[in-house]
Order: sequence, then C-alpha cells, then structure tokens
Amino acid sequence: MNDREKRDFDAGLAEEVDAFLTGQPTRRSFITRFGQMVGMLPLSGALLSSVSTFALAQAELELADPSTPLGKAQALALEASTVGPKDGSAYRAVEAAKQFAGVNLNMTYEAGLQALDPRNFSGPMWQDMTGITSSVAELANPDMYSKAVAEHFAGSGAFDVLDISPAWTPSLADGGVIAPLDDYIAKYMNLADLEDYHPLYKALPTYKGKIWGFFDDGDMFALYYRKDIFEDPKMMEAYQAKFGKPLAVPTTWEDYAQTAQFITDQMAPEVYGAGHFRKAGSPGNHFDFMQQFRTNGGELFDENMQAGIAGPAGLKTLENMIAANTASIPGNNELDAVSLWAAFLTGKVAMIYSWPPTGRMTAGYSQTATAINFIPQSEVAGKIGYAVVPGNPEHATGFNKALAADSANPEAAYLFMQWITSPPVSLARVMLPYALRDPYRLSHFKSDLYAELWPDAKEYLVNLNNSANVGVLDLIMPGAQDYFLSLDRMATDVWAGADPQTALNTAAAEWNDTTDRLGVDSQKAFYEEFLKLPGSTADHTVEKLGMAVKLD
Amino acid sequence: MSETNVIRRLEAAGLPPQLSRFGEWADRHFKWVLVAPAVLLILALSIYPLVYSLVVSFINFDFQVPGHAFVGFKNFERVIADPVARWSLVLTAFLSFSSVAIEFILGFAVAMTMMRSFPGRGLIMSILIVPLFISPVIVGQTFTLLLQRPFGPTNYVLSALLGNEVTISWLTESPYIYFSLILADVWQWTPFMFVILLAGLTAIPPNLYEAAELDGVGPWQVFWSITVPHLGPMILLAITFRLLDAIRLFDTIFIMTGGGPGTSTYTASYYLYTIGFTQFHLSQATAGSWLFLIFTALVVVFLVRRLLKAETN
Repeated sequence: MNDREKRDFDAGLAEEVDAFLTGQPTRRSFITRFGQMVGMLPLSGALLSSVSTFALAQAELELADPSTPLGKAQALALEASTVGPKDGSAYRAVEAAKQFAGVNLNMTYEAGLQALDPRNFSGPMWQDMTGITSSVAELANPDMYSKAVAEHFAGSGAFDVLDISPAWTPSLADGGVIAPLDDYIAKYMNLADLEDYHPLYKALPTYKGKIWGFFDDGDMFALYYRKDIFEDPKMMEAYQAKFGKPLAVPTTWEDYAQTAQFITDQMAPEVYGAGHFRKAGSPGNHFDFMQQFRTNGGELFDENMQAGIAGPAGLKTLENMIAANTASIPGNNELDAVSLWAAFLTGKVAMIYSWPPTGRMTAGYSQTATAINFIPQSEVAGKIGYAVVPGNPEHATGFNKALAADSANPEAAYLFMQWITSPPVSLARVMLPYALRDPYRLSHFKSDLYAELWPDAKEYLVNLNNSANVGVLDLIMPGAQDYFLSLDRMATDVWAGADPQTALNTAAAEWNDTTDRLGVDSQKAFYEEFLKLPGSTADHTVEKLGMAVKLD
Repeated sequence: MSETNVIRRLEAAGLPPQLSRFGEWADRHFKWVLVAPAVLLILALSIYPLVYSLVVSFINFDFQVPGHAFVGFKNFERVIADPVARWSLVLTAFLSFSSVAIEFILGFAVAMTMMRSFPGRGLIMSILIVPLFISPVIVGQTFTLLLQRPFGPTNYVLSALLGNEVTISWLTESPYIYFSLILADVWQWTPFMFVILLAGLTAIPPNLYEAAELDGVGPWQVFWSITVPHLGPMILLAITFRLLDAIRLFDTIFIMTGGGPGTSTYTASYYLYTIGFTQFHLSQATAGSWLFLIFTALVVVFLVRRLLKAETN
C-alpha cells in the first residue's frame, strides 16, 4: 500500500465513521439494527404476553364487611366451599379442582359491570381455594356469540368457560361449540342443587335431552312503580272520579296505558306516568313486543313456520305500546335502559318495567359500589312498589354458563362452573351491589340475607319469583337475533310515524325470509323444541303447568 | 455506499477481496431483501384477506347455517334484493355529499377569514382544529347528550330563544335526525377542510393579489379569477379526501341513532356491520362489502381523474 492508497483507505474509514457519527445509515448499521429489531420480537412477544395476562387477570379478592348481609353471604360461600357440607356442589367442586392447581381458565364475560364479579370476587376466591387462575375476556354482547364461534372454527381452544344467552344454546350445541355436561354432573354435582332452580330457569340449558350449561342470571322483567303516587289520596280520588274504579297497579296493558296517561295528565311536567327504553338498538322494543304479543294470545309462528306477528294480536300489541308511549315522559322513544333508570331514579317517572337491578338501584343499594356510580343516586328509595308486569313478563335474555367444547381443561372448567353457580356461591354473587346477575335460584328468592339488603328486599324477591311463575321466555332458536332485529326496526319505524299494520307486514316478511334462509324444516324442529319449555307461550307458563313456586 | 468505497479501496490496496460469492449475490439483491418484510406483511395482512373475502362471498359463511357450501352469486343477490341495502346506499350518498358540501363552504369561509391578520388569530385557529383530534364515537356521544330528549339541553335553549316550547325529537324524528347527523359530522370535519384550504390559500403568490389591486380589480373578481383557479387542485384534493372518509360513516350512526328509527339511518357501513356482526351473515356482509367497494371505486376513479386533470392543467 503506497502513501496515496493508505491516505485513501484512511479517508474511506473516516467516511464510514463520519456516517456513523452523523447517524446516516450504512448497510452494516441497517443490518445490525434490523438484527436487533428481530431479536426484540421474541422479547416483545413475551412482554406483551405478560402485559395481556396481567390485564386479563383478576384483582385481589374483594370481601364485604363481615357484619353486613353481603359479608355474611360471602363467608357462608367460603365455608360451604372449604368446610362443607361435604356433599354440597361447592365443596365437591373445590375438592376435585385442587388436582388442577396451576391451570388457567379463560372465560368470556359481558364487558363492564358483569366482569367485575369474576375479577374481584369469584375468580380470586376460586384461585385462593384451588390454585386455578382465571382470565376474563370482556366482550360486547354480540361478540360473546361470534367470538366463541370464530374461535371454535379456528380450533384455538381460546376459551374454557363461555357466558352465553340461552337463545344461543341450540346453535352452539348443534355447531359443536359447547359441550354437554351430563357426565360431569353425574360425577360431581349434588343433584339436589338442580332442583333449587326456579322451574322457569331449570330447563333453559336443556336441549335435545342434554344439559348444555348452568343457568346463571334471572333477567326477569318486573313492574316498578311509585307507591307514594298510587297511594296519594288526591290521585286516588281523581282516578275514581274519572274512571269509576280505584286507582291500582295495572294488571292489563290497556290499564297500564290508561293509568300512565292519567298520572301524566295530573302531574306532568314534574312526574310522567311511564317511561320505556325504546331507542333503536336498545333491546326494549323487542322484549316488550314479545311479552305483550304473547299476553295478547299471539303465536309467533303457525304450523307452516309462517310468521304470526302481523295478525290481530300483533296489531293490538303495537297499538297498546303506542298508547303507552303517548302517556310517557317526553323523549320516551329516545331512551335506552340506563337513561330510563336515570329518569326513574330522579323521580320523573311513576312506572317502569325493566330488569331486576332496577329494584336494587331504586333502593340505593347498587350505588354503594363505586363501580356503578354513573347511575344517579336514588331519590325514590322507600317509595317503590314491586309488581308483576301486566300479563306475562319477559325473561329478557339471561345468561347460561357453558363449557367450551375446545377447552384444553374441560374438567377444571366444568368444576368452576359448578362451583360458581352452586347455591351458596351464586347467592353471594347475586348480592354484589355492582353485579348485574340477578336472583334465579329458589334459595335466592328465600334468602334471609338477601332480604336484609334493604327494607323492601323481601317483597322484591317475592315479586321476582312470582314474575318467573308467569313469565315468558325469549325465543330460543337459531336466527333469534334476526327475528329480534326485525321487531326492533318495526317498532322504531312505528314510533317515527309508520303505519303499524304496514310495519308488522314488513317485519313478518323479514321473519319469513330469515326462516327460509335457515331452513323451514330445521327451524320448525327448533321451534317445536322451544315450545316444550315452560314459559314458551302465555298458555304454557310455569303457573299454567302447575309448577308455580309460592313464597310467603 | 461508503461500504462499497471501502471495498474498492481495499482491492486497490492489493488486499484480498472481502465479499464471498454469497456476499456478491446478497449485494446484488440487497434491495429485494429490504422490501421483502413490507411485501410479506402486505401479502399477509391485505392481499390474503382480500382474496379470502372474495372466496367467502361465494360460499356460505354464516354462523347460524352449518357448512361452507359454494352458493355462487346468491350472497350478492341477497344484498341487491334487500331494500335496506339499497336505501343505505342512497343515504350514504346523501349524507356524505351534504356533509362534505357544507364542510367545504364553511371551511373555505373560515380559511378566507383566517388569511387576514387579527388579534387572537393563533388561538382561534388552535381551537378550531380541536374537533379533528376527537374520536367520532365521542363526538356522537356528545351530540347525543346535547340532543337527546328529555335530558339534552338543545330544546330547552331553543325554547328560551324562540319563546315557544320546542319539542323536537332530534334523534328519532325525520327530517331532524338527518340534520343532527350532518351537524355532528360538519362540526367535526369542517376544520379538516379549513386546514387544507388555508394551506392552499397561503401558497397563492401574493404578487398576484398586489397586481390585481394595482389594476383596480374588485374583490369578487379577484376571488373568482385568482383565488378559485389557483386553489382548484387543493379544493379537489380536500373534497376527495373528505368524501372518501365520509362515505364510510359509521361511528356517529352507531352512537346517535343505532340505525333507527326503523332502518332510516342505515348507511352502507352500518348495514354491513349489522348483517355481519349483529346477524352473523358473514358471507352476505362480505358480498355487500365488495359491491360497496365497486361503488366507492367509481367515485374514487372519477375524483382522482379530476384531480390529476386539475394538476396537469
């Protein structure tokens, strides 16, 4: 190397060094950085995995003050799970589950308040007793169906325990997404606990002679009304004078609209007679139509599976609903369930029918939890009466716990399901102030601890039981979402001024289209299965079948 | 680059060559190595799903109907025969064209105003563009809270201003419901028009205005003869971008109206969402997406051609 070549060589190296110092990328630096990035990938995967595990995992066990009814119920649940009785389903589940310590269960839950129970209470308690951890996947309601199916298609085994609407059971069972529980029940459960379900709910997870889950949420509609208004002497006198009969809690839909209109005429704008959640997409429209339609003697399908909703019963139902809307708070047709609760809690409305949390909120019990502080404080505590919705109240969806067929740990998952729905544990769960799980077992309705939650809690429980005695079920068959969507479109069209009969005809045509798409014969078979369930029609309720549960 | 220099210099210095045969091959094809990750990502995340979606639109892929049988054009026929689908397309066109037209007029007016210097201009401009940074879901929720009866303050304020009780159902009553949706969209996206058009206005050479002023040209003639022609490509660009975004309108519909009353506020996106993710008819939703893509492509091709033509001119 002569001097000049050496000079050039040094200059070249300096150029390389300069490029490095000035941050200009060279091929070497690019390859180095690319290698570093590739190396980061496995590291970031592990990091992301631990972050997501942390995000999905439950918090520390949250227990109430042991001197409170909830605290006592939680202590009893713990005792039943760890001490016994030894033949109890809770104890058996915990003992059997200990062999699976270290396993993690992935479970779906509706996003929000519903998921607080497994995160803060049942999940951590189960982990403390069995060593089985749990991860909660919070999903929007429709995703609880679609994700479960999609993961089944993919064979991922992503979920072990599924929260599903009872309406989905036939589809998921026939599609192989969920597994039957009969063998596990025979092996582990105290069968007396199956008899503890209210008869309306007991049969809900049963399909084609097998049990496909455990019912876990008594979503029964009930009527909540302002006792102070109905017992106001001036109001009673005015009503008697106008209608020639005493002012009373309505027992027919015609009475309901008339009473609501009377209260509105007398008290608006301070108080309106009624309120409903009628916003498009909120499920109030289809629930309300389904309950009133069947009370009015309507049949959803005829013997050829042609939609029966456009007949006289359908028209009468819509006309009653329109009359009730007219008598309601301004903006009634724009309300969703939460804004309706807000209207009732702030004393603007005299009657609403809705899900059971309404009773806990009006008593001010739910609002004791910070998680539910987006609901206004109750201004009507102590003034609320409970009654059965005129005719036949709707069991408005509810939840089943189902075992994912692709679970890698089916036995551990089953045992968790048995434990969480066992009488003592489920009682503690339906008493959680933030929970949206509602009483469904006979032992819940009869619980002295629950009855201590607020002064009228016993009447509340009795009313939920009585409502279940005459309640009607959501349609349980494939295509339920399509049928319900058509009803919602129909109703909101009518609220906007469409002709009721025309809207009914359109909805009926959509129903027939849905039935054709899914197969008339197949849908007929599903519908016939549905008709066997107590609560499928107004003539086939628990009470009409002689199975009504009477409480003192 | 500098690495090659180093090698050249090493060779010139009589030192042994540093590159093996593989190294030479790698050197020649290095550019492909560089783009390979991006190409693979695009193939995996865009091309494969796109092709797969085409397959899905010709088979049964329904969470409620077992099996994936080939069904030909049945999914497309279902969409075309569905009056809700046709209405959603009409509404999409109406809402997007109306919104974008109003946003353009307002955005242009604000941009022209902001061309002049006045105290507080910087602050006002900052405030004006804030809506751009807000999620459409939040915008929808905010307008719902403002307009929803009985709690929203809108009717109360209008009643106070007009001296009569206003009882409009802004979210359930036609035609107010369309007005509400357009209002929310205009509130959020007018700043987009404003920002783009302001950039265009500032790029017009000031000497043109000075020459016009010297020649005694009136403000309207200046506007039509200088501002509009010079701003033309930018106007077309802003309208193209906004229109392509507006025809995907979903978030505010989802929050404010839920598609109702009935199906009166179903846009194409909301229709496809409902079919796919509420009713789980995935193959029908996919077929509908392809049809929607074709309609969108027609609009895009038209606008892009106009845009290119304007730029060429």
